[in-house]
Amino acid sequence: MFSLASGRIAVVVLVGVGLLAVFGPLLAPHDPLATSPDTLVGPSGGHWLGTDYLGRDVFSRLLDGSRVSVVGALEVTVMALVVGAIPGILSVYLGRVFEWITLRVADTLVALPFLLFAVAVTALLGNGITQAMFVTGALVSPLFYRVGRAATLAVARSQYVEAALISGASLGWIIRRHVWGKVLPPIAVALAQTLGVGFIIVSSLSFLGIGVQPPAPTWGGLLAADLGYLSYQPWAPFAPALLIMVTVWAGNVLADAIRDVSGGAGRALADSRKAALVGGRA
Amino acid sequence: MTVLDVRDLEVHYGHRRQRRRALAGASLSIDAGEIVGLIGETGSGKSTFARAALGLVRPSAGRIVIDGEDVTGHRERQWRAVRRRGVVQYVFQDPLRSLDPDLTIGDSLMEPLLLKGVPRREAVDRARAYLGRVRLDDELLTRLPEQLSGGQRQRVAVARALITEPRLIILDEPVSALDAATRVQVLEILKDLRTAGIALLFISHDLGSVAGIADRVAVLYRGEVVEVGTAREVVTKPSHPYTRLLIGSAPTLRTAAAGRAERAALRELLHSGKGTPR
Repeated sequence: MFSLASGRIAVVVLVGVGLLAVFGPLLAPHDPLATSPDTLVGPSGGHWLGTDYLGRDVFSRLLDGSRVSVVGALEVTVMALVVGAIPGILSVYLGRVFEWITLRVADTLVALPFLLFAVAVTALLGNGITQAMFVTGALVSPLFYRVGRAATLAVARSQYVEAALISGASLGWIIRRHVWGKVLPPIAVALAQTLGVGFIIVSSLSFLGIGVQPPAPTWGGLLAADLGYLSYQPWAPFAPALLIMVTVWAGNVLADAIRDVSGGAGRALADSRKAALVGGRA
Repeated sequence: MTVLDVRDLEVHYGHRRQRRRALAGASLSIDAGEIVGLIGETGSGKSTFARAALGLVRPSAGRIVIDGEDVTGHRERQWRAVRRRGVVQYVFQDPLRSLDPDLTIGDSLMEPLLLKGVPRREAVDRARAYLGRVRLDDELLTRLPEQLSGGQRQRVAVARALITEPRLIILDEPVSALDAATRVQVLEILKDLRTAGIALLFISHDLGSVAGIADRVAVLYRGEVVEVGTAREVVTKPSHPYTRLLIGSAPTLRTAAAGRAERAALRELLHSGKGTPR
Protein backbone atom coordinates (compact mmCIF):
# COMPACT_ATOMS: atom_id res chain seq x y z
CA MET A 1 0.00 0.00 0.00
CA PHE A 2 3.02 2.28 0.43
CA SER A 3 3.69 2.22 -3.28
CA LEU A 4 0.82 4.65 -3.81
CA ALA A 5 1.59 8.29 -3.10
CA SER A 6 -1.88 9.11 -1.77
CA GLY A 7 -1.79 6.09 0.52
CA ARG A 8 1.59 7.22 1.84
CA ILE A 9 0.28 10.72 2.55
CA ALA A 10 -2.73 9.23 4.31
CA VAL A 11 -0.48 7.11 6.50
CA VAL A 12 1.60 10.18 7.39
CA VAL A 13 -1.55 12.11 8.31
CA LEU A 14 -2.88 9.27 10.43
CA VAL A 15 0.45 8.88 12.19
CA GLY A 16 0.34 12.64 12.87
CA VAL A 17 -3.17 12.30 14.31
CA GLY A 18 -1.96 9.37 16.41
CA LEU A 19 0.95 11.44 17.78
CA LEU A 20 -1.51 14.23 18.51
CA ALA A 21 -3.59 11.78 20.51
CA VAL A 22 -0.57 10.63 22.51
CA PHE A 23 1.20 13.92 23.11
CA GLY A 24 -1.57 16.49 22.48
CA PRO A 25 -2.76 16.78 26.08
CA LEU A 26 0.86 17.28 27.22
CA LEU A 27 1.50 20.04 24.69
CA ALA A 28 -1.53 22.13 25.64
CA PRO A 29 -0.18 25.59 26.66
CA HIS A 30 -3.13 26.29 28.98
CA ASP A 31 -5.36 24.25 31.24
CA PRO A 32 -8.14 23.18 28.83
CA LEU A 33 -10.74 23.46 31.59
CA ALA A 34 -9.60 26.76 33.15
CA THR A 35 -12.03 29.59 32.52
CA SER A 36 -11.02 33.25 32.33
CA PRO A 37 -12.79 36.59 32.00
CA ASP A 38 -11.48 36.96 28.42
CA THR A 39 -14.40 35.22 26.67
CA LEU A 40 -14.69 34.91 22.91
CA VAL A 41 -11.34 36.54 22.19
CA GLY A 42 -9.86 36.21 18.71
CA PRO A 43 -6.52 34.53 17.98
CA SER A 44 -3.53 36.15 19.63
CA GLY A 45 -0.02 35.32 20.85
CA GLY A 46 -1.45 34.12 24.18
CA HIS A 47 -4.38 32.19 22.70
CA TRP A 48 -3.44 30.92 19.23
CA LEU A 49 -7.00 29.97 18.35
CA GLY A 50 -8.68 32.42 20.71
CA THR A 51 -10.96 31.57 23.63
CA ASP A 52 -14.47 30.17 23.83
CA TYR A 53 -17.59 31.48 25.53
CA LEU A 54 -16.18 30.60 28.97
CA GLY A 55 -12.79 32.09 28.21
CA ARG A 56 -11.10 28.71 27.82
CA ASP A 57 -8.14 28.41 25.44
CA VAL A 58 -9.46 26.76 22.24
CA PHE A 59 -6.06 25.52 21.08
CA SER A 60 -5.47 23.75 24.41
CA ARG A 61 -8.95 22.23 24.30
CA LEU A 62 -8.36 20.99 20.78
CA LEU A 63 -5.07 19.35 21.76
CA ASP A 64 -6.51 17.93 24.95
CA GLY A 65 -9.59 16.59 23.19
CA SER A 66 -7.63 14.77 20.51
CA ARG A 67 -6.86 11.82 22.75
CA VAL A 68 -10.49 11.12 23.63
CA SER A 69 -11.54 11.61 20.02
CA VAL A 70 -8.89 9.30 18.56
CA VAL A 71 -9.31 6.66 21.25
CA GLY A 72 -13.05 6.83 20.60
CA ALA A 73 -12.53 6.27 16.89
CA LEU A 74 -10.19 3.37 17.61
CA GLU A 75 -12.74 1.86 19.94
CA VAL A 76 -15.29 2.03 17.17
CA THR A 77 -12.84 0.17 14.95
CA VAL A 78 -12.20 -2.52 17.53
CA MET A 79 -15.94 -2.89 18.07
CA ALA A 80 -16.36 -3.30 14.31
CA LEU A 81 -13.83 -6.13 14.27
CA VAL A 82 -14.91 -7.94 17.41
CA VAL A 83 -18.68 -7.53 17.20
CA GLY A 84 -18.88 -7.43 13.42
CA ALA A 85 -16.17 -9.08 11.35
CA ILE A 86 -15.33 -12.03 13.59
CA PRO A 87 -18.94 -13.17 14.11
CA GLY A 88 -19.33 -12.69 10.35
CA ILE A 89 -16.51 -15.14 9.65
CA LEU A 90 -17.74 -17.57 12.28
CA SER A 91 -21.33 -17.41 11.01
CA VAL A 92 -20.21 -19.57 8.09
CA TYR A 93 -18.83 -22.26 10.38
CA LEU A 94 -20.67 -22.36 13.67
CA GLY A 95 -23.84 -23.98 12.41
CA ARG A 96 -27.29 -22.90 11.37
CA VAL A 97 -28.55 -21.61 14.71
CA PHE A 98 -25.66 -19.20 15.20
CA GLU A 99 -25.91 -18.17 11.56
CA TRP A 100 -29.65 -17.50 11.77
CA ILE A 101 -29.45 -15.54 15.01
CA THR A 102 -26.52 -13.36 13.95
CA LEU A 103 -28.07 -12.67 10.55
CA ARG A 104 -31.32 -11.52 12.14
CA VAL A 105 -29.46 -9.38 14.70
CA ALA A 106 -27.44 -7.76 11.92
CA ASP A 107 -30.59 -7.06 9.90
CA THR A 108 -32.26 -5.53 12.93
CA LEU A 109 -29.31 -3.27 13.67
CA VAL A 110 -29.21 -2.06 10.07
CA ALA A 111 -32.84 -1.03 10.36
CA LEU A 112 -32.24 1.13 13.46
CA PRO A 113 -32.15 4.92 12.97
CA PHE A 114 -28.77 5.65 14.53
CA LEU A 115 -29.19 8.96 16.37
CA LEU A 116 -32.64 8.04 17.61
CA PHE A 117 -31.24 4.74 18.84
CA ALA A 118 -28.38 6.60 20.55
CA VAL A 119 -30.80 8.89 22.35
CA ALA A 120 -33.00 5.95 23.33
CA VAL A 121 -30.06 3.99 24.75
CA THR A 122 -28.94 7.05 26.70
CA ALA A 123 -32.43 7.54 28.07
CA LEU A 124 -32.61 3.88 29.04
CA LEU A 125 -29.11 3.12 30.31
CA GLY A 126 -27.90 6.56 31.29
CA ASN A 127 -25.20 8.67 29.71
CA GLY A 128 -21.57 7.63 29.55
CA ILE A 129 -18.72 6.35 27.42
CA THR A 130 -19.81 2.71 27.79
CA GLN A 131 -23.28 3.43 26.49
CA ALA A 132 -21.86 5.49 23.63
CA MET A 133 -19.58 2.60 22.66
CA PHE A 134 -22.53 0.23 22.78
CA VAL A 135 -24.37 2.47 20.38
CA THR A 136 -21.46 2.81 17.97
CA GLY A 137 -20.80 -0.92 18.08
CA ALA A 138 -24.41 -1.51 17.13
CA LEU A 139 -24.05 0.95 14.30
CA VAL A 140 -20.86 -0.31 12.68
CA SER A 141 -21.00 -4.05 13.35
CA PRO A 142 -23.60 -5.03 10.70
CA LEU A 143 -21.39 -3.74 7.89
CA PHE A 144 -18.42 -5.70 9.17
CA TYR A 145 -20.55 -8.74 9.80
CA ARG A 146 -21.63 -8.64 6.15
CA VAL A 147 -18.15 -7.99 4.79
CA GLY A 148 -16.58 -10.75 6.90
CA ARG A 149 -19.35 -13.20 6.10
CA ALA A 150 -19.40 -12.55 2.35
CA ALA A 151 -15.64 -12.90 2.03
CA THR A 152 -15.64 -16.10 4.10
CA LEU A 153 -18.51 -17.63 2.15
CA ALA A 154 -16.55 -17.22 -1.06
CA VAL A 155 -13.60 -19.13 0.40
CA ALA A 156 -15.42 -21.65 2.57
CA ARG A 157 -16.92 -23.61 -0.30
CA SER A 158 -13.68 -23.74 -2.25
CA GLN A 159 -11.99 -27.00 -3.11
CA TYR A 160 -8.72 -26.18 -1.39
CA VAL A 161 -10.60 -25.80 1.89
CA GLU A 162 -12.20 -29.18 1.26
CA ALA A 163 -8.78 -30.59 0.41
CA ALA A 164 -7.47 -29.33 3.75
CA LEU A 165 -10.49 -30.85 5.46
CA ILE A 166 -9.76 -34.19 3.80
CA SER A 167 -6.22 -33.99 5.15
CA GLY A 168 -7.66 -33.64 8.65
CA ALA A 169 -7.53 -29.86 9.12
CA SER A 170 -9.45 -28.40 12.05
CA LEU A 171 -11.64 -25.32 11.82
CA GLY A 172 -8.92 -23.20 13.40
CA TRP A 173 -6.34 -24.42 10.89
CA ILE A 174 -8.63 -23.70 7.93
CA ILE A 175 -9.41 -20.17 9.13
CA ARG A 176 -5.78 -19.37 9.93
CA ARG A 177 -4.29 -20.83 6.80
CA HIS A 178 -6.89 -20.52 4.05
CA VAL A 179 -9.60 -18.06 5.09
CA TRP A 180 -7.95 -15.24 7.04
CA GLY A 181 -5.56 -14.12 4.29
CA LYS A 182 -8.40 -13.76 1.80
CA VAL A 183 -10.90 -12.17 4.16
CA LEU A 184 -8.46 -9.61 5.53
CA PRO A 185 -8.14 -7.25 2.52
CA PRO A 186 -11.87 -6.41 2.29
CA ILE A 187 -12.06 -6.07 6.07
CA ALA A 188 -9.00 -3.78 6.06
CA VAL A 189 -10.67 -1.55 3.49
CA ALA A 190 -13.84 -1.36 5.57
CA LEU A 191 -11.77 -0.71 8.70
CA ALA A 192 -9.86 2.18 7.19
CA GLN A 193 -13.15 3.70 6.13
CA THR A 194 -14.65 3.16 9.55
CA LEU A 195 -11.72 4.92 11.19
CA GLY A 196 -13.00 8.02 9.44
CA VAL A 197 -16.61 7.25 10.25
CA GLY A 198 -15.58 6.63 13.86
CA PHE A 199 -14.58 10.29 14.26
CA ILE A 200 -17.90 11.39 12.87
CA ILE A 201 -19.77 9.02 15.18
CA VAL A 202 -17.87 10.11 18.30
CA SER A 203 -18.19 13.71 17.19
CA SER A 204 -21.90 13.53 16.45
CA LEU A 205 -22.50 11.78 19.75
CA SER A 206 -20.62 14.46 21.69
CA PHE A 207 -22.45 17.02 19.55
CA LEU A 208 -25.64 15.56 21.02
CA GLY A 209 -24.07 15.42 24.46
CA ILE A 210 -23.87 11.63 24.52
CA GLY A 211 -20.73 9.81 25.63
CA VAL A 212 -17.95 12.18 26.57
CA GLN A 213 -19.33 14.60 29.13
CA PRO A 214 -18.64 18.33 29.26
CA PRO A 215 -16.49 20.07 30.24
CA ALA A 216 -14.08 17.41 28.89
CA PRO A 217 -13.28 18.54 25.34
CA THR A 218 -13.61 16.49 22.15
CA TRP A 219 -13.32 17.64 18.55
CA GLY A 220 -17.00 17.15 17.98
CA GLY A 221 -17.88 18.84 21.26
CA LEU A 222 -15.74 21.84 20.36
CA LEU A 223 -17.43 22.09 17.02
CA ALA A 224 -20.84 22.01 18.68
CA ALA A 225 -19.89 24.73 21.18
CA ASP A 226 -18.38 26.92 18.44
CA LEU A 227 -21.51 26.70 16.36
CA GLY A 228 -23.50 28.28 19.19
CA TYR A 229 -21.38 31.43 18.93
CA LEU A 230 -21.15 31.54 15.19
CA SER A 231 -22.35 35.17 15.05
CA TYR A 232 -19.52 36.30 17.35
CA GLN A 233 -16.73 34.13 15.95
CA PRO A 234 -17.62 32.90 12.48
CA TRP A 235 -14.10 31.45 11.98
CA ALA A 236 -14.10 29.40 15.21
CA PRO A 237 -15.53 26.05 13.94
CA PHE A 238 -12.82 26.02 11.29
CA ALA A 239 -10.07 24.41 13.41
CA PRO A 240 -11.96 21.39 14.85
CA ALA A 241 -13.83 20.89 11.56
CA LEU A 242 -10.56 20.85 9.65
CA LEU A 243 -9.05 18.27 12.02
CA ILE A 244 -12.05 15.98 11.68
CA MET A 245 -12.15 16.42 7.90
CA VAL A 246 -8.46 15.73 7.36
CA THR A 247 -8.55 12.62 9.51
CA VAL A 248 -11.64 11.25 7.84
CA TRP A 249 -10.11 12.01 4.45
CA ALA A 250 -6.92 10.16 5.40
CA GLY A 251 -8.94 7.16 6.52
CA ASN A 252 -10.81 7.07 3.22
CA VAL A 253 -7.71 7.51 1.10
CA LEU A 254 -5.99 4.73 3.01
CA ALA A 255 -9.02 2.51 2.42
CA ASP A 256 -8.83 3.21 -1.32
CA ALA A 257 -5.12 2.49 -1.36
CA ILE A 258 -5.62 -0.83 0.43
CA ARG A 259 -8.39 -1.76 -1.97
CA ASP A 260 -6.26 -0.90 -4.99
CA VAL A 261 -3.43 -3.13 -3.92
CA SER A 262 -5.48 -5.82 -2.18
CA GLY A 263 -5.27 -7.94 -5.31
CA GLY A 264 -1.61 -8.23 -4.45
CA ALA A 265 -2.19 -8.78 -0.75
CA GLY A 266 -2.30 -12.52 -1.16
CA ARG A 267 0.82 -12.33 -3.24
CA ALA A 268 2.69 -10.45 -0.55
CA LEU A 269 1.61 -13.11 1.92
CA ALA A 270 2.84 -15.88 -0.34
CA ASP A 271 6.13 -14.05 -0.87
CA SER A 272 6.75 -13.87 2.85
CA ARG A 273 6.02 -17.58 3.15
CA LYS A 274 8.28 -18.24 0.21
CA ALA A 275 11.09 -16.50 2.05
CA ALA A 276 10.39 -18.67 5.09
CA LEU A 277 10.50 -21.79 2.95
CA VAL A 278 13.78 -20.86 1.28
CA GLY A 279 15.16 -20.02 4.70
CA GLY A 280 14.12 -23.44 5.97
CA ARG A 281 16.04 -25.08 3.14
CA ALA A 282 19.38 -23.51 4.08
CA MET B 1 -5.93 -57.06 2.37
CA THR B 2 -8.94 -54.82 1.85
CA VAL B 3 -8.29 -51.08 2.13
CA LEU B 4 -11.86 -49.94 1.62
CA ASP B 5 -14.94 -52.02 2.22
CA VAL B 6 -18.31 -50.39 1.68
CA ARG B 7 -21.47 -52.40 2.35
CA ASP B 8 -25.05 -51.41 1.47
CA LEU B 9 -24.28 -47.72 1.79
CA GLU B 10 -27.23 -45.34 1.80
CA VAL B 11 -26.86 -41.58 1.78
CA HIS B 12 -29.66 -39.05 1.83
CA TYR B 13 -29.46 -35.34 1.14
CA GLY B 14 -31.88 -32.67 2.33
CA HIS B 15 -34.60 -32.70 4.92
CA ARG B 16 -38.16 -33.93 5.05
CA ARG B 17 -39.93 -33.37 1.75
CA GLN B 18 -36.74 -32.35 -0.02
CA ARG B 19 -35.03 -35.54 1.12
CA ARG B 20 -33.36 -37.25 -1.82
CA ARG B 21 -31.62 -40.58 -1.87
CA ALA B 22 -28.15 -40.24 -3.42
CA LEU B 23 -26.91 -43.74 -2.62
CA ALA B 24 -29.26 -46.69 -2.35
CA GLY B 25 -27.30 -49.57 -0.90
CA ALA B 26 -24.06 -49.33 -2.84
CA SER B 27 -21.44 -51.97 -2.06
CA LEU B 28 -17.84 -52.07 -3.21
CA SER B 29 -14.59 -53.30 -1.78
CA ILE B 30 -11.10 -52.41 -2.90
CA ASP B 31 -7.98 -54.46 -2.20
CA ALA B 32 -4.49 -53.11 -1.62
CA GLY B 33 -2.72 -52.13 -4.82
CA GLU B 34 -5.83 -52.54 -6.90
CA ILE B 35 -7.08 -50.01 -9.44
CA VAL B 36 -10.85 -49.85 -9.48
CA GLY B 37 -12.85 -47.72 -11.89
CA LEU B 38 -16.18 -46.36 -10.70
CA ILE B 39 -18.39 -45.46 -13.64
CA GLY B 40 -21.70 -43.70 -13.65
CA GLU B 41 -23.58 -40.87 -15.24
CA THR B 42 -24.13 -37.48 -13.63
CA GLY B 43 -26.26 -37.89 -10.52
CA SER B 44 -25.61 -41.60 -10.18
CA GLY B 45 -23.91 -41.05 -6.83
CA LYS B 46 -20.22 -41.35 -7.77
CA SER B 47 -19.12 -38.25 -5.93
CA THR B 48 -21.37 -39.02 -2.98
CA PHE B 49 -19.73 -42.43 -2.75
CA ALA B 50 -16.29 -40.79 -2.62
CA ARG B 51 -17.42 -38.15 -0.13
CA ALA B 52 -18.88 -40.81 2.15
CA ALA B 53 -15.61 -42.75 2.07
CA LEU B 54 -13.86 -39.53 3.19
CA GLY B 55 -16.38 -38.79 5.92
CA LEU B 56 -17.62 -35.61 4.25
CA VAL B 57 -21.20 -36.88 4.17
CA ARG B 58 -22.81 -39.10 6.79
CA PRO B 59 -24.43 -42.33 5.60
CA SER B 60 -27.95 -43.07 6.79
CA ALA B 61 -27.38 -46.82 6.52
CA GLY B 62 -24.63 -49.26 5.64
CA ARG B 63 -21.08 -49.82 6.74
CA ILE B 64 -17.72 -48.31 5.80
CA VAL B 65 -14.47 -49.98 6.82
CA ILE B 66 -11.21 -48.22 6.02
CA ASP B 67 -8.01 -50.25 6.36
CA GLY B 68 -9.62 -52.51 8.97
CA GLU B 69 -11.18 -49.67 10.98
CA ASP B 70 -14.97 -49.40 11.04
CA VAL B 71 -15.58 -45.68 10.54
CA THR B 72 -19.34 -45.82 10.01
CA GLY B 73 -20.38 -44.20 13.26
CA HIS B 74 -17.35 -41.93 13.61
CA ARG B 75 -17.87 -38.42 14.90
CA GLU B 76 -16.08 -35.41 13.44
CA ARG B 77 -13.19 -35.65 15.89
CA GLN B 78 -12.63 -39.35 15.14
CA TRP B 79 -12.84 -38.68 11.41
CA ARG B 80 -10.23 -35.97 11.74
CA ALA B 81 -7.89 -38.46 13.40
CA VAL B 82 -8.50 -40.96 10.57
CA ARG B 83 -7.89 -38.30 7.93
CA ARG B 84 -4.70 -37.07 9.60
CA ARG B 85 -3.21 -40.52 9.36
CA GLY B 86 -3.53 -40.00 5.61
CA VAL B 87 -4.71 -43.53 4.82
CA VAL B 88 -7.20 -42.31 2.20
CA GLN B 89 -6.38 -39.36 -0.03
CA TYR B 90 -8.34 -37.57 -2.68
CA VAL B 91 -7.48 -35.89 -5.99
CA PHE B 92 -9.94 -33.35 -7.35
CA GLN B 93 -10.98 -33.01 -10.94
CA ASP B 94 -9.90 -29.42 -11.38
CA PRO B 95 -6.32 -28.78 -10.24
CA LEU B 96 -6.81 -25.04 -10.62
CA ARG B 97 -9.30 -24.92 -7.79
CA SER B 98 -7.93 -27.60 -5.49
CA LEU B 99 -4.74 -25.66 -4.71
CA ASP B 100 -4.93 -22.50 -2.57
CA PRO B 101 -3.95 -19.65 -4.95
CA ASP B 102 -2.15 -17.81 -2.13
CA LEU B 103 -0.02 -20.73 -0.96
CA THR B 104 3.17 -21.81 -2.64
CA ILE B 105 3.29 -25.29 -4.12
CA GLY B 106 5.58 -26.27 -1.25
CA ASP B 107 3.11 -25.11 1.38
CA SER B 108 0.23 -26.88 -0.32
CA LEU B 109 2.24 -30.08 -0.58
CA MET B 110 3.34 -29.95 3.03
CA GLU B 111 -0.11 -29.28 4.45
CA PRO B 112 -1.13 -32.93 4.98
CA LEU B 113 2.26 -33.64 6.60
CA LEU B 114 2.09 -30.66 8.93
CA LEU B 115 -1.43 -31.70 9.90
CA LYS B 116 -0.10 -35.17 10.60
CA GLY B 117 2.47 -33.64 12.94
CA VAL B 118 5.58 -34.11 10.80
CA PRO B 119 8.27 -31.50 11.67
CA ARG B 120 8.52 -28.73 9.10
CA ARG B 121 12.12 -29.47 8.10
CA GLU B 122 11.29 -33.09 7.35
CA ALA B 123 8.11 -31.99 5.55
CA VAL B 124 10.15 -29.76 3.21
CA ASP B 125 12.42 -32.71 2.36
CA ARG B 126 9.45 -34.98 1.72
CA ALA B 127 7.76 -32.32 -0.44
CA ARG B 128 10.88 -32.11 -2.58
CA ALA B 129 11.11 -35.89 -2.86
CA TYR B 130 7.48 -36.33 -3.88
CA LEU B 131 7.68 -33.54 -6.42
CA GLY B 132 10.44 -35.58 -8.02
CA ARG B 133 8.26 -38.67 -7.88
CA VAL B 134 5.64 -37.01 -10.09
CA ARG B 135 8.45 -35.86 -12.37
CA LEU B 136 8.39 -32.20 -11.44
CA ASP B 137 11.40 -30.00 -10.73
CA ASP B 138 11.78 -29.05 -7.08
CA GLU B 139 12.23 -25.40 -7.98
CA LEU B 140 8.44 -25.36 -8.31
CA LEU B 141 8.25 -25.54 -4.50
CA THR B 142 8.37 -21.77 -4.19
CA ARG B 143 5.98 -21.07 -7.07
CA LEU B 144 2.33 -20.17 -6.84
CA PRO B 145 -0.33 -22.37 -8.52
CA GLU B 146 -1.05 -19.73 -11.16
CA GLN B 147 2.53 -19.99 -12.37
CA LEU B 148 2.08 -23.69 -13.25
CA SER B 149 0.39 -25.35 -16.20
CA GLY B 150 -2.73 -27.48 -15.72
CA GLY B 151 -0.80 -30.73 -16.07
CA GLN B 152 1.85 -29.58 -13.59
CA ARG B 153 -0.83 -28.57 -11.13
CA GLN B 154 -2.57 -31.93 -11.38
CA ARG B 155 0.74 -33.68 -10.79
CA VAL B 156 1.21 -31.49 -7.71
CA ALA B 157 -2.24 -32.59 -6.57
CA VAL B 158 -1.23 -36.24 -7.07
CA ALA B 159 2.02 -35.62 -5.15
CA ARG B 160 -0.01 -34.05 -2.36
CA ALA B 161 -2.18 -37.14 -2.21
CA LEU B 162 0.89 -39.43 -2.19
CA ILE B 163 2.88 -37.56 0.41
CA THR B 164 1.20 -39.18 3.42
CA GLU B 165 1.88 -42.63 1.94
CA PRO B 166 -1.81 -43.56 1.70
CA ARG B 167 -3.26 -47.02 1.16
CA LEU B 168 -5.97 -45.66 -1.14
CA ILE B 169 -6.28 -42.62 -3.37
CA ILE B 170 -9.68 -41.61 -4.69
CA LEU B 171 -9.44 -39.71 -7.97
CA ASP B 172 -12.47 -37.80 -9.24
CA GLU B 173 -12.12 -37.47 -13.01
CA PRO B 174 -8.43 -36.67 -12.52
CA VAL B 175 -7.57 -36.25 -16.18
CA SER B 176 -10.75 -34.95 -17.76
CA ALA B 177 -9.65 -31.31 -17.36
CA LEU B 178 -6.32 -32.02 -19.06
CA ASP B 179 -5.31 -32.11 -22.71
CA ALA B 180 -4.40 -35.40 -24.35
CA ALA B 181 -0.61 -35.15 -23.94
CA THR B 182 -0.69 -34.21 -20.24
CA ARG B 183 -3.40 -36.80 -19.70
CA VAL B 184 -0.97 -39.51 -20.78
CA GLN B 185 1.71 -38.16 -18.44
CA VAL B 186 -0.62 -38.19 -15.44
CA LEU B 187 -1.96 -41.65 -16.30
CA GLU B 188 1.62 -42.97 -16.54
CA ILE B 189 2.32 -41.67 -13.03
CA LEU B 190 -0.86 -43.27 -11.73
CA LYS B 191 0.05 -46.63 -13.27
CA ASP B 192 3.41 -46.46 -11.46
CA LEU B 193 1.54 -46.32 -8.17
CA ARG B 194 0.22 -49.82 -8.61
CA THR B 195 3.69 -51.23 -8.10
CA ALA B 196 3.94 -49.22 -4.88
CA GLY B 197 0.92 -51.10 -3.52
CA ILE B 198 -1.37 -48.09 -3.43
CA ALA B 199 -4.98 -48.76 -4.35
CA LEU B 200 -6.75 -46.30 -6.65
CA LEU B 201 -10.44 -45.61 -6.97
CA PHE B 202 -10.79 -43.95 -10.33
CA ILE B 203 -14.10 -42.13 -10.68
CA SER B 204 -15.35 -41.23 -14.14
CA HIS B 205 -18.47 -40.84 -16.23
CA ASP B 206 -16.65 -42.35 -19.14
CA LEU B 207 -15.91 -46.07 -19.30
CA GLY B 208 -13.27 -45.57 -21.96
CA SER B 209 -11.04 -43.40 -19.79
CA VAL B 210 -11.04 -46.04 -17.04
CA ALA B 211 -11.03 -49.33 -18.94
CA GLY B 212 -7.38 -48.98 -19.96
CA ILE B 213 -6.04 -48.54 -16.45
CA ALA B 214 -8.47 -50.28 -14.10
CA ASP B 215 -8.18 -53.87 -12.86
CA ARG B 216 -11.86 -53.89 -12.07
CA VAL B 217 -14.73 -51.68 -13.09
CA ALA B 218 -17.82 -50.96 -11.00
CA VAL B 219 -20.90 -49.43 -12.59
CA LEU B 220 -23.01 -47.14 -10.43
CA TYR B 221 -26.60 -46.56 -11.48
CA ARG B 222 -29.20 -44.68 -9.45
CA GLY B 223 -27.20 -45.01 -6.26
CA GLU B 224 -26.48 -48.71 -6.60
CA VAL B 225 -23.47 -50.64 -7.83
CA VAL B 226 -25.18 -52.67 -10.53
CA GLU B 227 -22.15 -54.39 -11.98
CA VAL B 228 -18.60 -55.19 -10.91
CA GLY B 229 -16.07 -57.08 -12.94
CA THR B 230 -12.79 -56.87 -14.77
CA ALA B 231 -12.70 -54.15 -17.39
CA ARG B 232 -12.82 -56.82 -20.11
CA GLU B 233 -15.82 -58.59 -18.60
CA VAL B 234 -17.78 -55.39 -18.20
CA VAL B 235 -17.06 -54.24 -21.72
CA THR B 236 -17.56 -57.53 -23.52
CA LYS B 237 -20.22 -59.20 -21.39
CA PRO B 238 -22.25 -56.51 -19.62
CA SER B 239 -24.96 -58.14 -17.54
CA HIS B 240 -26.98 -55.12 -16.46
CA PRO B 241 -29.11 -53.31 -19.05
CA TYR B 242 -27.69 -49.96 -17.97
CA THR B 243 -24.13 -51.13 -18.60
CA ARG B 244 -25.20 -52.41 -22.00
CA LEU B 245 -26.72 -49.05 -22.75
CA LEU B 246 -23.60 -47.26 -21.49
CA ILE B 247 -21.36 -49.34 -23.73
CA GLY B 248 -23.82 -49.30 -26.59
CA SER B 249 -23.99 -45.51 -26.49
CA ALA B 250 -20.25 -45.02 -26.82
CA PRO B 251 -19.21 -44.12 -30.35
CA THR B 252 -16.97 -46.94 -31.53
CA LEU B 253 -15.66 -48.66 -34.62
CA ARG B 254 -16.22 -52.06 -33.08
CA THR B 255 -19.34 -54.03 -33.76
CA ALA B 256 -19.95 -54.37 -30.02
CA ALA B 257 -21.96 -51.18 -30.05
CA ALA B 258 -25.67 -51.68 -29.77
CA GLY B 259 -27.96 -50.77 -32.61
CA ARG B 260 -30.45 -47.94 -32.41
CA ALA B 261 -33.41 -50.27 -31.84
CA GLU B 262 -31.56 -52.20 -29.16
CA ARG B 263 -30.65 -49.00 -27.30
CA ALA B 264 -34.25 -47.88 -27.37
CA ALA B 265 -35.33 -51.23 -25.96
CA LEU B 266 -32.75 -50.97 -23.17
CA ARG B 267 -33.93 -47.49 -22.25
CA GLU B 268 -37.49 -48.76 -22.16
CA LEU B 269 -36.45 -51.57 -19.83
CA LEU B 270 -34.58 -49.17 -17.51
CA HIS B 271 -37.43 -46.69 -17.32
CA SER B 272 -39.95 -49.39 -16.55
CA GLY B 273 -38.10 -49.77 -13.23
CA LYS B 274 -37.45 -53.48 -13.76
CA GLY B 275 -33.86 -52.83 -14.71
CA THR B 276 -32.21 -55.02 -12.10
CA PRO B 277 -32.36 -58.64 -13.24
CA ARG B 278 -30.23 -60.16 -10.52
